[in-house]
Amino acid sequence: MSRDLLPVATARESAGHLLRLMLRRPVVLGAAVAAFLAASATGLLAPYVLGRLVDRLLDGGPGVDDALTSAFWLIAGAAVLGGLLAAGSADLLARAVEPALATLRQQVLARALTLDAARVEASGSGDLLSRVGDDARVVARAVSQFVPMVLASLTTIVLTAGGLFTLDWRLGLAGLVTLPFYVHALRWYLPRSAPYYARERVATGERAQALVSALRGLPTLRSFRIEEPAAAEVDARSADTVRISLDVFHLYGRFGGRTNRTECVGLIAILGVGFLGVDSGAVSVGEVTTAALFFHRLFNPIGVLLFLFDDLQVTAASLTRLVGVAALPAPSYDVPAEPAGGTLALRGIGHRYLPDRPMLDGVDLVVEPGRRVALVGASGAGKTTLAAVAAGVLPPTSGSVRLGSVDLGTLDPALLRRQVGLVSQEVHVFAGTLRDNLRLAAVDDPSDEDLHEALVAVAAAGWVAALPEGLDTLVGEDGRTLTPAQAQQLALARVLLVDPAVVVLDEATAEAGSLGARELDTAADAVTRGRAALVVAHRLSQAQRSDLVLVLDHGRVVESGSHDELVAAGGRYAELWAAWESPTG
Amino acid sequence: MPRSTAALYRRTVRRHRGLVSRSILLLCTWQICEALVPVIIGLVVDDAVATGDGSHLLWWFAGLAGLFLVLSSGYRYGSRAGFATVQHESHLLRGEVVRRVLDPRGTTRKRLPGETLSVATSDAELAAEVVRMAGFACAAVGSIAVAAVYLLRVDLLLGLVVLLGVPLVLGAVQLLAPRLSRHAGEQQSRIARASGLAADLVAGLRVLKGVGGEAAAARTYDEASDRAVGAGILAARSTGLMSGTTTALSGVFLAAVALLAGHRALDGDITIGQFIAVVGLAQFLAEPLSTLGEVAAHTATCWASGRRVVEVLAEPYAVADTGASSVPAGALDVPGLLRASPGELVGVLLEDPAVGDRLLDELAGVLPAPGVRVGEVELDEVGLDARRAHVLVVRHHVDVFEGTLRSNVLTHGEPDWPTVLTASALDDVVDLDPDGLDRAVAAGGTSLSGGQRQRLALARALAARPPVLVLQDPTTAVDAVTEHDIAHGLRAALPAEGIAVVLTSSPALLAAADRVVHVAADGTTVTGTHAGLLADDAAYRTAVLR
Repeated sequence: MSRDLLPVATARESAGHLLRLMLRRPVVLGAAVAAFLAASATGLLAPYVLGRLVDRLLDGGPGVDDALTSAFWLIAGAAVLGGLLAAGSADLLARAVEPALATLRQQVLARALTLDAARVEASGSGDLLSRVGDDARVVARAVSQFVPMVLASLTTIVLTAGGLFTLDWRLGLAGLVTLPFYVHALRWYLPRSAPYYARERVATGERAQALVSALRGLPTLRSFRIEEPAAAEVDARSADTVRISLDVFHLYGRFGGRTNRTECVGLIAILGVGFLGVDSGAVSVGEVTTAALFFHRLFNPIGVLLFLFDDLQVTAASLTRLVGVAALPAPSYDVPAEPAGGTLALRGIGHRYLPDRPMLDGVDLVVEPGRRVALVGASGAGKTTLAAVAAGVLPPTSGSVRLGSVDLGTLDPALLRRQVGLVSQEVHVFAGTLRDNLRLAAVDDPSDEDLHEALVAVAAAGWVAALPEGLDTLVGEDGRTLTPAQAQQLALARVLLVDPAVVVLDEATAEAGSLGARELDTAADAVTRGRAALVVAHRLSQAQRSDLVLVLDHGRVVESGSHDELVAAGGRYAELWAAWESPTG
Repeated sequence: MPRSTAALYRRTVRRHRGLVSRSILLLCTWQICEALVPVIIGLVVDDAVATGDGSHLLWWFAGLAGLFLVLSSGYRYGSRAGFATVQHESHLLRGEVVRRVLDPRGTTRKRLPGETLSVATSDAELAAEVVRMAGFACAAVGSIAVAAVYLLRVDLLLGLVVLLGVPLVLGAVQLLAPRLSRHAGEQQSRIARASGLAADLVAGLRVLKGVGGEAAAARTYDEASDRAVGAGILAARSTGLMSGTTTALSGVFLAAVALLAGHRALDGDITIGQFIAVVGLAQFLAEPLSTLGEVAAHTATCWASGRRVVEVLAEPYAVADTGASSVPAGALDVPGLLRASPGELVGVLLEDPAVGDRLLDELAGVLPAPGVRVGEVELDEVGLDARRAHVLVVRHHVDVFEGTLRSNVLTHGEPDWPTVLTASALDDVVDLDPDGLDRAVAAGGTSLSGGQRQRLALARALAARPPVLVLQDPTTAVDAVTEHDIAHGLRAALPAEGIAVVLTSSPALLAAADRVVHVAADGTTVTGTHAGLLADDAAYRTAVLR
């Protein structure tokens, strides 16, 4: 299977996308930028006033007292104003960026949910999971933590450089001497660190994989007494991450050394130029002091900027992955004028995942309203693929799937699912209450009585009623763990609440242990009654109760007929049935 | 094993003594040099720029370069030693957590895998961070001390004002810290909640799409995401308020110091160079002090992580690991439930699944099993390794590990492959793929069907050839013909004097058993052959026939 990875946007597209979202609040965004600039500007006042004070103190003479007092008020006033602006700018920025970010992650999830499940699994569902989870979290954290710092640092650096030039162009140039050094340090560091960070991410992922594998497989590890190899595997993966992290840090230390060296060069340049300037009378001692203090003030913001570069790169990478999904074109469908319905007809269905291995080959299948068709066959025969095609979740490579007069592929999924319900082998209980889980898909708000009715039909009312909190019981990730059989009962009840004309059940009972299976058979009967139903039957008792049985082998229908006809015919199905039904196996 | 968080950290410092002391020493050097930078700027201006003395300037430049060299090396090697401590310690803690969780004796507390995962990763890392924080705290205190000495020597009053003023300013700012950490925590938990929800929805994508729940799901997510926006803005507002207050208060404080130092300089009590140095130090001191504030806040987080690590490490064991180191061959006897002699294949039909789970836990040595014997030996009086080597329990849920079919079957040495593959019907799966036994399988077995996973589990169990093999519902997901083959071939793959107990309701497997024990819902047991029970036991007939 080719790894059809989900798209990643370019940096330019991502920036553009985010900017468009932020520009939905142009006034707030403009005010935020202005506030950042103003806050940085007020920060320049103190060193400037102090420098002038140095000159006045050196000159001596009358009025120095007044100069001291006014210096006090200027510095203090600028500080208070700067504080207000700093607080305001952070607030304004958040009000511009946070909603934009929320819109972005909502776009990502909305798009993710429209993606073809097969496509998501082809790219490894981990890819999409990490986008909606980790990437969204990384960007949110960056926006609240680094971005204001980076913006404040940037404006401070730009304005301070400007301040140096305003003081004296020679002092400005002396400060600017450091720029190539900083650029060089970054250009030395980034290409060297990037591969390490990539390797670190991979190694961390492998470490988590080893851990999860050991934790989830605990019963088996314990039974077979192979806990130690699993622990050793975690150790080895953990040691890998330690080694890589230490290597990166080593590099980071050398980078830090380079920036320290640049700070030293800059300070010497400014003091040296200042010395010559004072010597020739071009600048005053106070101006040199201001310049040196300006420069000393830059150590922090420059450090912030340089050392957040890695985090910013990580954030940018996450952003491109988010925008990659958010910017996928929304699928469009020809909405039929009248609701579809009626007979489900598959004609000449062929499907292949790999060019040389057809999963389905020329399958014809008709399911009329009120009739139940069972699919039987060995594993690998193509039953699940055919069920997915019939339910319209997998477009076949060839052939057509029609519901009444409508081609399933042209139907908006939202409309399609009201017509065709699918319960697959996958069992998933969504985090939330039982009620949330049941109402997930229902079109019109079902009442608790409706929910109860559905639970009774799938024979789940008993255990639900036995729960202390009933329908309000938290289930899934951080709630009560349901057995696979209970989870499938919920899935079947969900279909009842949607009430589609057609249902497709793909081995809805396979994962249950031997005791749950019969109850699930009953539940499956309740769901298929009165509808056009296609059932992938692993338990042949389900096939026996169907109107038509199709036996699939290597993607082709090899037998077709009623249960009795097929048993009488003495073919493959008869063989399967004999094995199934015999009281001695 | 450390029993308290404090003990955990004492041990951390002990086992990385060299690295920790090196890190503290070098970081102190670094911070002290940073404190000296503004002092030197003042001295250069005073002694060279204002006087026009070129040779002094060059000497100062040499001094400045030397200072930066020491400063830079101090930071580089000091922070590296601190970082290395964190890495090594968190690696050790991770290993300890994993070994505790995997300990054969088990634990009385049930945790979700996600919870343990976060203890082994982020908590192990954060817990170790404490040593690094200690290094930075020491450095900050060191540089504050040096600045204090300089300031007090220049001018007693100025020194006192600066030394009392800076902590006051920062103390005032710290008053806002709880509010900030509350808002930031709230924001993080809401974001985490939204991402968790998104991950959950994507993980259930197929199920969701099966019933068309996408729109409702997107709405639920939008609500969670919108809640994070409000919290995000609040958190940003708190951060802004804190940094704004810092700016304003430290600026006002700087203005006051400048006013006071200016008057001192005007009176000739201090030189211009000292004026610049004092003002520069007043600005600089905010740095180590805010480091202290951050360290305090971060240490609280790290401490909490350390506590969670200790909690896992100090959890009581579920069972003891003492007693005999081998089990002599003999009949398996579970009082009141079943007895199986060497060479017997016994089927067990249970009507109450809870009884089955308990039986499996007892036989597997996950729970104490009073009275359960092999021959004359009580299982609870056998060491766990010997006990599990003798009695192998394979549950219905199949754990598949990343690797190949072969690596999943192999646990203790090469088996008799043809026998194992035939008896488990895994040969069909092996033949289906060009890579055969070396076919890659994904973690959790997502690339295999349910039936294929069950055959893999059966092959793994048979390959281990334990004296007593206990299987739970081994064939619920395989087709009827394969199930029939497995039932008939099972005995051939068992050791001659081996005991097999199969918990199942499959007629095929029950028919292949020498004896069947039917445990009714009320706990009463009836023993017989499958055919005999079918004939005589109506409840059995109902339970077995499909």
